[in-house]
Amino acid sequence: MSAVIAADRLSKYYGNVLGLNEVSLTVEEGITGLLGPNGAGKSTFMKLVTGQLWTDLGTVTVRGRRTWNAPELFRAIGFCPEHDVFYEDMTGFEFVAGLMRLHGFPKAEARDRAARSLELVDLGKDKDRLIRGYSRGMRQRVKFAQAVAHDPGIVILDEPMSGLDPLGKRKLIRLIKDFKKEGRTILVSSHVLPEIEALTSRVVLIHQGRVLAEGDVPFIRELIEAHPHQISVRSSDPRGLAARFVGDASIQKMTFGADGRTLVVETHRRDEFFGRLTGAVLEAGIEVEEISSPDDNLQAVFEYLVGK
Amino acid sequence: MNVGGPAARVFGVFFPLGLKTGKTRALALLGLFPVLLAVVARIFLRGRSGDMAAVFTEILMVFFLQLYVVILALFYGTSVVAEEVENRTLAYLVTRPVPKPAVVLGKFAAYALLMFALVGVGLGVSFFVLNAPRLADPSLYLTFLRYLGVLGLGILAYTAFFTFLGALLKKAIIVGLIFGFGWENIIQYFPGSTQRFSLVHYLKSLLPYRPAGIVGGGGGRGVALLLFRLEPTPPLLAVLALAALTAVFLGLACLLFRTKEYLYEE
Repeated sequence: MSAVIAADRLSKYYGNVLGLNEVSLTVEEGITGLLGPNGAGKSTFMKLVTGQLWTDLGTVTVRGRRTWNAPELFRAIGFCPEHDVFYEDMTGFEFVAGLMRLHGFPKAEARDRAARSLELVDLGKDKDRLIRGYSRGMRQRVKFAQAVAHDPGIVILDEPMSGLDPLGKRKLIRLIKDFKKEGRTILVSSHVLPEIEALTSRVVLIHQGRVLAEGDVPFIRELIEAHPHQISVRSSDPRGLAARFVGDASIQKMTFGADGRTLVVETHRRDEFFGRLTGAVLEAGIEVEEISSPDDNLQAVFEYLVGK
Repeated sequence: MNVGGPAARVFGVFFPLGLKTGKTRALALLGLFPVLLAVVARIFLRGRSGDMAAVFTEILMVFFLQLYVVILALFYGTSVVAEEVENRTLAYLVTRPVPKPAVVLGKFAAYALLMFALVGVGLGVSFFVLNAPRLADPSLYLTFLRYLGVLGLGILAYTAFFTFLGALLKKAIIVGLIFGFGWENIIQYFPGSTQRFSLVHYLKSLLPYRPAGIVGGGGGRGVALLLFRLEPTPPLLAVLALAALTAVFLGLACLLFRTKEYLYEE
């Protein structure tokens, strides 16, 4: 699959402050999540991709074209900015329809697209209200509407779920996933892990202007072999089970859960441990109720990678 | 690069938006001040000679030319670029298939027309109220059109300059205030060619009244409120100078907006 967005050793400085440091990554069709804490460089990357900033070093291209001063490119790009800012004296409908006019759509089509797009984000009834009277969630939704009303093939969403209630988030997640089914490329940023996890398994972890890791969650997990995996085994006899692993060199640490039924093991060699666990359980006749990896999620991966 | 069509679309978005803003309402209220003045003056002038009406008309022009037009141009001109950066709404404009110069030109045109409407209504009502007894005199309408033309050129020149300032500087309003009410007010009274370094000099050179004694061989009718120490540039040259300055500042604003990177203050 060819790269839709490609960054090669991309760097950005704000005076002496490093915004982005030699970032090389490609974004392909589907949903890619850009994950990192506030100030990590996510918005800087998105602004570079959308030609709002120029590159200090390296290159960034969308469909093979540089983005700075390339207005024609924006027929295919929709951008939802992070900041909660609008032309407050416009209604939601005027705002989206006006921006559609800038895309060159005739007046009737611009209005039609605006109406459909606002309907899509459940703002149909409120489209004629001034934006200054919208709630935070409504403002977030109208921002999303303007990003997709022209049916772009590439949608770039900077913290799109910020300020949405759980229902709004769920709806937006569904919408973004629908866009993916239509073959679009979606780059979405967030500092909230469950939001990204709910959207995609293709993740780029970014911190202090650098890409720490990219790939799907298991791939990222592979990258952190230096950090032990946590495996939790709930069984009828956790202490008996622990006794069988005391001399095992692959295990770094064992603790017992507060419920008295759980053994939590830290190991570098997860597959090896699972092999031995099966044998130990069978030999001792211990009844295993549940095996899980408490840290097999993005939060744990992220914390390991940033060294927290 | 086609700029005309996209600029027209930008105009189509920002002209109606400009009509709705609180800023426009406030500035329109300010534009009603000379109307009030004209009504009071008309009552005061009842039964007096027409020359007094001319005096008050020139007071109106001082207000419009040296205060109202400068304030309007300052607020709307700087808002073409600087306000977008300050309000962080720039992202909505520069991520559209619109060349950046078209954004500047479209917004400039929208705001210039808006200002012209504000000035035109204020000047029209106050001028004709003040000169009500002479409504049958065709020369009155020519004078009005000349005033309106001068103010129109003033709007274009000042707005172009403030648009350029807004594209160049973050705190364009402060520099604009210093220019509009400092430099322009002082330099115009310098003798010799120094006064040609102000925009208002060229605008005043186009005014119909010629005060006797200051401008040799002039008509001598009217008062010298606006023409004190004026050493006028010939009208055609003044128009050309204003047109050239407008084009240069607008061109520079477009160039800056196209090439400059605008960062939001975090």
